[in-house]
Amino acid sequence: MADNSTCYNVVCRYFKKGICREGSKCRYKHMEVVRNETAPSESGSSQDSSASYVNIECYYFKRGNCRFGNNCGFAHNPDNYLEESDSDASTNGSLSNKNVETSLVAAEEWVKAPEFVPSSINFNVNVPFSMEDFASATHPKSYAQAVNPSSGQSTFSANDPLCLSFCTTVNCPNLHGDICDMCGLRNLHPYNEDLRKMHISTCSMENHEFNMTFKFDTQPSRELTFSLENYASAKTPMSYTRAVNSSSGQSTFTADDPLCPSFCTTVNCPNLHGDICDMCGKRNLHPYNEDLRKLHISACMEEHKIDMELSFAIQRSREKSCGVCFETIMEKSKGEQRFGILPNCNHCFCLTCIRKWRQSKQFDNKIIRACPECRVPSDFVCPSMYWVDTKDEKDKLIMDYKDALSTKDCKYFNKGRGNCPFGNKCFYLHALPDGTKADVGPPIRQRRNADNDIDVFHQLLLWDFMDERDNFWMYDFDDLRDFVNIVSDSDDSDLSEYDLYFD
Amino acid sequence: MATNIAAQRIKREFKEVIKSEEVSLYLNVAQCSIKVELVNDSCVELKGEIAGPPDTPYEGGNFILEIKIPETYPFNPPKVRFITKIWHPNISSITGAICLDILKDQWAAAMTLRTVLLSLQALLSAAEPDDPQDAVVAKQYKEQPEMFHQTAKHWTSVYAGGPSKMPELDEKIKRLTDMGIEEHNARDALSSYNWDLERATEQLFS
Repeated sequence: MADNSTCYNVVCRYFKKGICREGSKCRYKHMEVVRNETAPSESGSSQDSSASYVNIECYYFKRGNCRFGNNCGFAHNPDNYLEESDSDASTNGSLSNKNVETSLVAAEEWVKAPEFVPSSINFNVNVPFSMEDFASATHPKSYAQAVNPSSGQSTFSANDPLCLSFCTTVNCPNLHGDICDMCGLRNLHPYNEDLRKMHISTCSMENHEFNMTFKFDTQPSRELTFSLENYASAKTPMSYTRAVNSSSGQSTFTADDPLCPSFCTTVNCPNLHGDICDMCGKRNLHPYNEDLRKLHISACMEEHKIDMELSFAIQRSREKSCGVCFETIMEKSKGEQRFGILPNCNHCFCLTCIRKWRQSKQFDNKIIRACPECRVPSDFVCPSMYWVDTKDEKDKLIMDYKDALSTKDCKYFNKGRGNCPFGNKCFYLHALPDGTKADVGPPIRQRRNADNDIDVFHQLLLWDFMDERDNFWMYDFDDLRDFVNIVSDSDDSDLSEYDLYFD
Repeated sequence: MATNIAAQRIKREFKEVIKSEEVSLYLNVAQCSIKVELVNDSCVELKGEIAGPPDTPYEGGNFILEIKIPETYPFNPPKVRFITKIWHPNISSITGAICLDILKDQWAAAMTLRTVLLSLQALLSAAEPDDPQDAVVAKQYKEQPEMFHQTAKHWTSVYAGGPSKMPELDEKIKRLTDMGIEEHNARDALSSYNWDLERATEQLFS
């Protein structure tokens, strides 16, 4: 809060552009004076006690390249303009040099403009300073804070905006991006991957526009031959640099050249551009390499086929409702839009409901393993994003499901450390830590006894049977103990019996 | 969540039953109709109504049912009980409790109020005396089918608004009520003893 007062003394530079999103909550000064000026030359800096910075000379202006022009918060004092001897009438304030100004927005008009549009849009329309970034940056740093080294923070995060001027000077306190290959400017944010990508995608367009104007200035005659139509029909598209600089030779592309990855349609891109593919609508067909063309077409066909199958699947699934909850499955909440396919009948359930039904405890195994509608028993439920109509689709789905499961380790088998009750019927992978698959034999036999508990039948070996017969007196002894126990009629006879049986 | 599913489903089933009502009205087969009404706003307790199926002693009667929806519905069956008194081997003549497999261990989550009520209607036309709820009724059903038919018809007319009147049975009941026996007890005793007035009297005064 201590620096609040100082902040209030600083005029909000966004307000001056008419784009301050903070409104009355803004920590910087929303000064009407600036708005009331009709001519910036009158620039009411007399009132600018706030002008802690207005009196600071603009670093960039002195070098002749301040892109903010007369909107710059710092003093553009033409007297100090290094290369300009002819000084302007204005002595202070935000008025810029006429030379600069002519290429910029007219000084009188910027105040009236509903939204400030910097003339050098080609530079900074690039990612770093979009409106969204302003919104996402929680505390946009004022220049004063940034300049003042005592305000600390020498490291930058992904939220920090890049230095607007792409300067290379050592003393600039702002974050500087990496050089973009396309526009050649320090536009790639070093920490924010999203901004990088955004810049690269926009750069091709921006960059070409910029180059166009640039070239019109420098070599208008050359430029005229490079209309879009010429470019597209030209069998040997040339990059501008190559075209201009004839000494660099090689203006044709071969079948080995890669296509321009950005599918740009602009004139000046130095890369090779493909023909438009009918399927995907992008410049993906290599003009010289027949193999690549075919490869792309078949890939596109494949994709198209998958798309068609998907849309059919969605079509047939859309109306299907669950036989348990009665809701339309595709209209359920996000995580619940899954079908539970029973292999042995064609009734439709959502995965949640059919699983819940099959996990009910209060019914016989036979009842819950049966389809709730037709009572045909199924051994498992196959999850699916879409409904399957035909037997072929269903078989494929179940195959895929089993294949997918067979690559996952069984949590019961636990790489040989545990026992899987499903034995070799288990869908999951039974592999030892070294990767070899283990055959664990048939599943353990189970039976529900009269008390509704599950009896596990261990593997019955003939030897055990013989052993039991030969040592029958042992079992007699057990029976005897049991008998004694019953006669004693103790209260905890149940427990004792349990102990006896499981000794 | 579970209650949510139950409530959601009951609402949908409600519409389904109403639709089937409309269809049966349209087809002019009102005697086969089933109805469901809400008792309160909670969807937990409902009132069902089924018509006695034709060519049975229950024809012409309307039987009211109490339906309670458990929280775990539809993974557990609804609890259904006859409120209207009925003479049937699989339904208790005293409490109205129903012995029907689908309301117990043979329930399936895809069953609805409509299928349950239709199943009950089917139960009325095809009793299962070998799996009885009311042993007395089941015995009569097996041993004296004619007597059972008469009794069931009488109960239908008295309790479910059935059409046929049976003066000789009413006469026997009147004899007992004249002795100070409450009417339903008199009817119950007489029905249980195959309308043998002496044995019924004996039982009532013993």
